[in-house]
Amino acid sequence: MNTYENKGLTVVKKNGLCSIQDLGRMSSQHLGFSASGAADEYAFLFANYLLGNNLVKDSSGTSPNNAALEITLGQITFKAEQHCTIAITGADCSVCINEKPIQNWHVHQLNAGDIISFALPKSGLHTYLAIAGGIQSKSWLNSQTQTSTESALGFSAPMIKIGSTIPLGEHSTINVNTINAANNLSIKKLTPSHFYTAPNSLLTLRFIPQSLYENIDNESQEIFCEHTFTVSTDINRMGYRLSALPTNVIINTPSNPKLSKPVTYGTIQLPSNNQPIVLMKERQTIGGYPVLGCVIQTDLFKLSQLRPGNKVKFIPTTLNFAQQQLSAMYQRFK
Amino acid sequence: MVNNTRSNETLSSHLSKSLPSVSITYISENSVLLEWPEKVCAIQHQHIMLCQTQICNALTDKVIDCIASYASLLIYYKFELIPHDELNTLLHDLVQRPSSVNNVIHNMVNTAESAVDNNHEQNIIEVPVYYGNEAGWDLTDVAEQTQLSVKDIIKLHTQAPYRAYALGFTPGFCYLGELPAQLQLPRKASPRLSVPKGAVAIAEQQTAIYPNTSPGGWHIIGQTPLDMYSTDKQSFKSTINIGQSVKFVAISRAEFLSLGGTLIQEQH
Repeated sequence: MNTYENKGLTVVKKNGLCSIQDLGRMSSQHLGFSASGAADEYAFLFANYLLGNNLVKDSSGTSPNNAALEITLGQITFKAEQHCTIAITGADCSVCINEKPIQNWHVHQLNAGDIISFALPKSGLHTYLAIAGGIQSKSWLNSQTQTSTESALGFSAPMIKIGSTIPLGEHSTINVNTINAANNLSIKKLTPSHFYTAPNSLLTLRFIPQSLYENIDNESQEIFCEHTFTVSTDINRMGYRLSALPTNVIINTPSNPKLSKPVTYGTIQLPSNNQPIVLMKERQTIGGYPVLGCVIQTDLFKLSQLRPGNKVKFIPTTLNFAQQQLSAMYQRFK
Repeated sequence: MVNNTRSNETLSSHLSKSLPSVSITYISENSVLLEWPEKVCAIQHQHIMLCQTQICNALTDKVIDCIASYASLLIYYKFELIPHDELNTLLHDLVQRPSSVNNVIHNMVNTAESAVDNNHEQNIIEVPVYYGNEAGWDLTDVAEQTQLSVKDIIKLHTQAPYRAYALGFTPGFCYLGELPAQLQLPRKASPRLSVPKGAVAIAEQQTAIYPNTSPGGWHIIGQTPLDMYSTDKQSFKSTINIGQSVKFVAISRAEFLSLGGTLIQEQH
């Protein structure tokens, strides 16, 4: 008798944002597609690691990786239509199964008929709900990632709304003991509180400078790096706009409009209103604003969890350091 | 005397001097940006596209993606698979080594010649445009700002073929250049929240077609019934590809409609 039933998870209540994310559509940016992908890769990989799902093999994001739900600002409730094994990571949404609180950064079993609810988190933005074996949504150009504009055009699965069903894979139930990942957390130094800064504390964004920054005088560089910026209300998966630069930082941005050039994850743009924008996962592929440098990826994952009013500062670093940090993080999830 | 000195120079060094310097900047963990002098120039852009092909061929599976624009090229690569020094040497060699430069120039000349030949044949993509006032939402504004008549704007815009310099902003959006100097205007002070699908627009030195309804800050001078891309199950085909030539052709309202166009008028 075939007991396998693939009925998935159904959205019964929804007030926040929820999308399907993996490590992004990295190889179609030349066609104008946003790379997109999980905003906070640390929490995303952590959830998949707990479940023993396929993980990233290198920085490309092209290796098999399991899509998960990225829940932004909580406020969503699912009904499990089948038994499945899940992991919850990221912003703490006081998640409950049938109204009983469950632990964040842990694996849980859901039975058919169970109700799992996510409240508005007290701090942070993105929470990941990963399922053993991943999500079986439409893949487009080698990725299941959803962006609001491209999903609206039918390129990836339709955006999730009340009544949507999240289709799961064939092996959505596992015995947690067999994967042993939970026991390896301390060996692997996987302690979320060590990765993130405390809620509402100052986050230092290390960045690889570009010529616009390198060409400003030392005094202005010092003021720039000592300044505390505030995260504005103008933030989303595409970018984070910050408060304006102090007026005594003199940056000679070119007066003529520059020709648009490709931008990357973490690019720090400086529009004429002097409010830096840090480009995030769902960025455009090409941009025209002057560029100060690029924030390192391991700090971008932390930035993606900040809210309007949170404080950040910048400090220059090297390519070598940035690569070491990223490799070290990926190494822990291998 | 000066001429004699020049003629004594080796071909190689002469060619080296004729190539602009390319700056190579490792902008993030897994991307390196190659920048040419800031100009809209078909010959320089051919060099960029040749470098793109050569780099992709040399790095094979270490390349994640390679994105060309007007005067730049961004290469996403798997940094764990290639030591930094090795990559750096390879990139410098490809863009600057005299023997490479010779090949590049040779290819450039050939490509330029074949491009010119093709331009006279069938390789130009024709984009039909209805330039009526109800399609060209900003036509009156553009006429005012450029001090040109609508007739002259259409004449200038349809005059010469444009080169496709970059794809980006949104899937199928192709940056075309260079716009005649008389038509060059800064972007609109306040971008529109909704520019219609098929809008033909201009800004600075560029012109483009909006593949889908989206926000946008360019001046809309007409609309085309032509789709900017087609899709298959797992593939995406842009109507215009980087490096191709594009010519706009003025059509009437009736032709626009008979070609399947849906005229979208601005909501006030």
